[in-house]
Amino acid sequence: MKQATDKKAMLTDVEPKPRATIVWGTALVLVALPFVISVPLSTEILIWTIFGLGFNLLLGYTGVLSFGHAAYFGLGAYSAGLAIKYWQVDILTGIAVGVVASMLLACFIGALAIRRRGVYFAMISLAFGQMLYFTALSPLKEITRGEDGLTHIMATVNLFSVSLDKPKHLYYFVLAITVVMLYLTWRILQSPFGKMLQAFRENEERAKACGYNTTLVKFFSLVLSGLYGGLAGALNTLYLGYVPLTSLFWLTSGTIVMMTVLGGRGTFLGPLVGVAVFLFLQNTISLFTPRWELFVGAIFVVIILIFPGGIMGTLREKYLSRKMVKLQNKAADFQ
Amino acid sequence: MLLRTDKVSKHFGGIHAVDGVDFTLRQGQLKSIIGPNGAGKTTLFNLIAGVYLATNGKVFFKDRDITNLSLHKTSRLGITKTYQITHIFPNLTVFENVRISAQSRNTAFNFWRTTHSFSALNERALDILEQVELLDKRSLLASTLSHGERRYLEIGIALATEPEVLLLDEPTAGMSCAETNLCAELIKKLNKELKLSIVLVEHDMSVVMGISDEILVLNEGRTLAEGTPIEVSDNEEVQRVYLGEGKACSA
Repeated sequence: MKQATDKKAMLTDVEPKPRATIVWGTALVLVALPFVISVPLSTEILIWTIFGLGFNLLLGYTGVLSFGHAAYFGLGAYSAGLAIKYWQVDILTGIAVGVVASMLLACFIGALAIRRRGVYFAMISLAFGQMLYFTALSPLKEITRGEDGLTHIMATVNLFSVSLDKPKHLYYFVLAITVVMLYLTWRILQSPFGKMLQAFRENEERAKACGYNTTLVKFFSLVLSGLYGGLAGALNTLYLGYVPLTSLFWLTSGTIVMMTVLGGRGTFLGPLVGVAVFLFLQNTISLFTPRWELFVGAIFVVIILIFPGGIMGTLREKYLSRKMVKLQNKAADFQ
Repeated sequence: MLLRTDKVSKHFGGIHAVDGVDFTLRQGQLKSIIGPNGAGKTTLFNLIAGVYLATNGKVFFKDRDITNLSLHKTSRLGITKTYQITHIFPNLTVFENVRISAQSRNTAFNFWRTTHSFSALNERALDILEQVELLDKRSLLASTLSHGERRYLEIGIALATEPEVLLLDEPTAGMSCAETNLCAELIKKLNKELKLSIVLVEHDMSVVMGISDEILVLNEGRTLAEGTPIEVSDNEEVQRVYLGEGKACSA
């Protein structure tokens, strides 16, 4: 009996019961966000955070770099836009269409490319992304309106007879979805499935020897990431009221990579922090100069020099290395 | 027979790394494969584990043909390998390293319940850490462990999959003589107390002498000798091949 209580004590010491405090805390901050910065900027931050959460699951937790993630974002945006524009579906259905379309695309790309690794996978995903871009640009011009983007999607945005036309209403609608996605992500990361993703990232060979079908792990991670991408794209359509062609362009893929790395890949809040810093700098500096990229780029270089693992990543490393030293000292005292 | 190979061969281009070797392992047996560098020990081992596909011959586990099964499938059947070069999950805690391996059996695709709430799983992970003497280090990141501790963690990760056959690839590689002897004792303990069938690949003959039930000596991809430790060490061919070998840690 004594041994049983020992084990219980050990379990709480090695891993305290996980609590989603980080999710609810973040939600509180986000509730207040539009009172601090502009509502459109806040909304954009939420949308890109959802995109980043999914991208981080793939890059940060599974260790797979996709350089064509615009495909999921863009396809989600177009599918939702087309469904709303041509079939006159309500916005929730429109979002669902965008999500499903992007997940199907992820299944397709996954089935073809998942056995490739590292830079090969990055290149193949980039190729698929660009394929989609050019398809929307020209062959499907009749439907997608090519270079102009998909405009005049809806007259009014209504959800259960509540108008989302007011920017703040839309913001809180997107916030609700963001909080759900934050919580979902948190659950996934705490679950055996999430641990399995990390096992794959840490050591694919060993994960195989543990009995994991690593190809399947990677596939599921990609599809899951596609879900987030599609959702973010669809929400972007609601937010902008149209779909710019650039949502499929490789720059969009590059932007999400940059945001995630800047914030700290493989950390829970990394995407949110990266997105917020990126968009805030972009919005602020572009007020003063049309050459904002130059200054934003320079600032990024400085940030990455100070935080090589991304902002949250480096903070986490610092915290962990302190904790390790403490634990080792404690063990040494004990002996 | 728990595990056997039937004239199994592996050729890499013109190199016959393993050439028609018959290997057998009985339930509960601790069997070692030894031989000088390049003898084909690790290749044979990887043929059994499912890392390589055999060029010729077959591998059987409980009379089931497992020749062409991949690594993760043989692991699921109950044959788990460790690595000569340490393969752990460096940025996770020691505890998580073992738990990730333990969860692979049934809960892996659950994405909603927290891993923390599977209490049997967590307790199993602690039990295994106790077996490989790493319980004190459970909260440390695996990357902060010493080399010897990592080798033990490696064994712990393999144990967590609840194998029937444990394949150990030079578990004492890079250890000092004192560490090597302790590790040999641990392996014997796992064999006796957990009734685990073990295949041990070793470069150093003296390690396996004290603990093996049987030894298979390979040289240039073929069987040179097979038998009890005494039979093998009395064999003149074996003595000739092993003449002038370096490190010797007699237990």
